[in-house]
Amino acid sequence: MSEGAVAQREVALVDLVDRLLGGGVVIAGEITLAVADVDLVHVSLRALVSSVDTAQRQGALPRMGEAL
Amino acid sequence: MSREKVLAAPLDGDLGPFERPGRRLPGALGGRIDADPESVERGLAQLVLTIVELLRQLMERQALRRIDGGGLTEEQIERLGTTFMELDRRMEELRDQFGLEAEDLNLDLGPLGRLL
Amino acid sequence: MIELVAITDGTLAPEAPVRAVPFDGLAVLCAPAAEGEADAETLWRREALLEALMEQGALLPVRYGTVVADEAAAVEAVSEHRDAFARALARVRGAVELSVRAVGPADAAPAAARVHATLAVLARDAVRLGGDEQLNGAYLVERGAVDDFVAAVGRLQREHRGLSILCTGPWPPYSFTEAG
Repeated sequence: MSEGAVAQREVALVDLVDRLLGGGVVIAGEITLAVADVDLVHVSLRALVSSVDTAQRQGALPRMGEAL
Repeated sequence: MSREKVLAAPLDGDLGPFERPGRRLPGALGGRIDADPESVERGLAQLVLTIVELLRQLMERQALRRIDGGGLTEEQIERLGTTFMELDRRMEELRDQFGLEAEDLNLDLGPLGRLL
Repeated sequence: MIELVAITDGTLAPEAPVRAVPFDGLAVLCAPAAEGEADAETLWRREALLEALMEQGALLPVRYGTVVADEAAAVEAVSEHRDAFARALARVRGAVELSVRAVGPADAAPAAARVHATLAVLARDAVRLGGDEQLNGAYLVERGAVDDFVAAVGRLQREHRGLSILCTGPWPPYSFTEAG
């Protein structure tokens, strides 16, 4: 890619990351953990996996060095 | 829709102000966490495996409670036992893959004590 | 584990390994959960997938990395929002999202507000996202009106020299997934 095209891709990536990791439908993850067909643990999680940055800003994940 | 995403650029053509230093993606782009990619990956693996280990222990405890409480068939109990052995083995494999010891997953939470 | 990719109206036919799992007249598109970290190429591939699907019909992209145990869990997770999804799908149908960012000194804030207000009128919907910029706007624009919108951005740039304006897109409607 030309230098100009690289720069364009870089700034477009900023907008993409904002949207894909910070936007979109947010699902409350509902998981029932079953082992050997026996339901054992029901876990309700908001945005089960989100970007570390978003999770930290939402307070769902501690910042490095802080206690839970 | 095409891969060219820029529809309108500033008059001077300078895209610099629209880049974001300290981006959020680890690994290939270099990260907000300023460390070599391998240790970033290892730190992330440590976090993820800690959660997995936590859930595994929760499930194991629940399984024991269910077994003690009765209400499970012999077959279910046996399957539970085998599956937890398998989970344990798999966790060990995953830890090995990232060069982590069991102790590495037992995060120190300071005044709250150890996680696991 | 599977990853939720998008909510659709059930008419979309994705290619394997993406599967359309129906729920109450809508569908949630699911893919095998990805291994490893999200790097730029992974995100661009997800974007390409969503864009290709959008050619078939309206969809609401799900936040990247939303992982559930299996298809039953996926249905359970999305079912309670069914009506809100249907309203949001109706709102985004036939439209795309455009991003407009404007950078400039602090005294350019009123100009940035005017840029946003002007563009919002040309869009079906508009929202200001957070960020360090004077303006980080997302606009839901009718497909046929994109060219006019981009031309308007060009005019606004010439009118407001104190701002540096960048427009990117088209994007799937990431910022318009909540029913109004």
